[in-house]
Amino acid sequence: MPTRSPLKRPDRPYLALGLEGSANKLGAGVIRHEIDGSSTVLSNVRHTYITPPGEGFLPRDTAVHHRQWALKVIEDAVTTSGVGMHDLDCICYTKGPGMGAPLQSVALVARTLSLLFDKPLVGVNHCVGHIEMGREITGARNPVVLYVSGGNTQVIAYSRQCYRIFGETLDIAVGNCLDRFARVINLSNDPSPGYNIEQEAKKGKRLIPLPYATKGMDVSLSGILTATEALTHDKRYRPDDPPESGAEEDYFTSADLCFSLQETIFAMLVEITERAMAHIGSKEVLIVGGVGCNMRLQEMMAIMAEERGGTVFATDERFCIDNGIMIAQAGLLSYRMGFQTPITKSTCTQRFRTDEVHVAWRA
Amino acid sequence: MALLPLPDPSPTAALVRSSVLISQGAEAKVYRTTLHTGGGPVLLKYRFSKQYRHATLDATLTRARVAGEARALVRCLRCGVSVPGLRFVDVANGALGIEWVDGKSVRSLLGSGDEGERYREEDEDIAPAEDEDLFVGYKVPKDALMVMVGTEIAKMHLADIIHGDLTTSNMMLRHPSSTMNPLGVHQLVLIDFGLAYTSTLAEDKAVDLYVLERAFASTHPESEPLFSSVLDAYKRKMGKEWPAIGRKLEDVRLRGRKRSMVG
Repeated sequence: MPTRSPLKRPDRPYLALGLEGSANKLGAGVIRHEIDGSSTVLSNVRHTYITPPGEGFLPRDTAVHHRQWALKVIEDAVTTSGVGMHDLDCICYTKGPGMGAPLQSVALVARTLSLLFDKPLVGVNHCVGHIEMGREITGARNPVVLYVSGGNTQVIAYSRQCYRIFGETLDIAVGNCLDRFARVINLSNDPSPGYNIEQEAKKGKRLIPLPYATKGMDVSLSGILTATEALTHDKRYRPDDPPESGAEEDYFTSADLCFSLQETIFAMLVEITERAMAHIGSKEVLIVGGVGCNMRLQEMMAIMAEERGGTVFATDERFCIDNGIMIAQAGLLSYRMGFQTPITKSTCTQRFRTDEVHVAWRA
Repeated sequence: MALLPLPDPSPTAALVRSSVLISQGAEAKVYRTTLHTGGGPVLLKYRFSKQYRHATLDATLTRARVAGEARALVRCLRCGVSVPGLRFVDVANGALGIEWVDGKSVRSLLGSGDEGERYREEDEDIAPAEDEDLFVGYKVPKDALMVMVGTEIAKMHLADIIHGDLTTSNMMLRHPSSTMNPLGVHQLVLIDFGLAYTSTLAEDKAVDLYVLERAFASTHPESEPLFSSVLDAYKRKMGKEWPAIGRKLEDVRLRGRKRSMVG
């Protein structure tokens, strides 16, 4: 990096507990920042609220899930980490963005723990959590970030102590698009609808033409979802391959639709990411967020990066899918820069844009 | 994965091979070439196939974009919008030849201060060393430059052409001493119509402006007020067309996802 990081080497190891619950995943994790500048994940526990096939998760039910599991998950995280609550330097929680009710449940738990153990609170932007965890795990230094999850779709690059959003979805998020289509064709939500779409897509062969909607560095996804849904009412649609069909017969299956949906929207995402890379002149790309686990997306991104002489960084489900440790990581970075959230200000918010955060710890 | 070479008998393939690669943007490789001996330089934009996307999807997109770009350029030229002239089109091979514009991108003139200036999308200036003092010729006040940007975009929108990717990298200021510019005055040229299309809708024009607004904000963090002078010039040129677009622009600004909406 051209200039030195404003973040000083720690004079002693720092410990943080991170609590995340902005969507249907409840996560808790403990991270330690070592004296040599490295960090160690001491624990990373998660429990997911899974709904029956064909149903999404509603805010109220998700909040109930988080309240029921909070103590168990946090206890697990702290026990596994081998440190005591009193050893912590701070407690980090997700301030936003996300679903209101689940966010509030977790913020309440964080506040209670903060008062019980007399530990400072740090409110963390969920998106910045993803980015910082991705950077920490992969070692990417200054990548263009594609943040793709159930609630967010953004192309982000760092500039002047701020994660600037170069492109994003104009309507629904990519994970939302995939999850909702999974519901249309009645795929299971276990472990996640997106994972099951990915498995279905592997069986698909025919590319059905779908709308392709990039606008500059932005994408629009809701029309593609509608178009794909409409195709399930098409008379050529068969849920599964008919047992004995002639090769010439004109039909398509739900696997073909999953395949086409993935190919089309991932091509759009890789295209806007590439455009951002060309615009900024970066050779690194980092994929974060739940959809970032998708191997096809990672593969497409890797081919693009290779064509440009660049590198792709991605993590696996432990860090891609929402987790507590990423909140601990981003929270501890800002805590070490002197940032704390006083208890009177420890609110949460459904709307909290990535570029509103002052990234004090980067040069 | 290596890029597939073009089918050999294609004259375009031979042309690409004999040309000088200038830059690789996100969409295409840009070459400098000449079409016949003694002819002036021509910019060759070659949309190579993207290995990451499905072959069928790739072919459809490439064909549609080359044809669309050529159509938009011709339409602009016919309506008096300042764009580079069209020299040849090869839709099947994804190649487009356009007039070579001698000049600098608005982005480099404004000086974004960001790293990686070298990788600009559609790059133009392979400025030889002796060009140093020629750069003085570009000394246009920033405000005048912004007025030119706004006016040129308005001319394009009055012709019902939507650029689709308006950024400061996609506009060039022709060098005043350039032979193609006999008037010796500054001329702003809009380039890269790769995502252009035709539309009469105020909505599409507003989105076009919004894309530029965002590009200004993300590329020139300190110069956001510059965009308002672009918009002022645009308003003046659009005349009675403006109010409808202005209203749409407000809508579009609010529409971006999870933008801070109070209430």
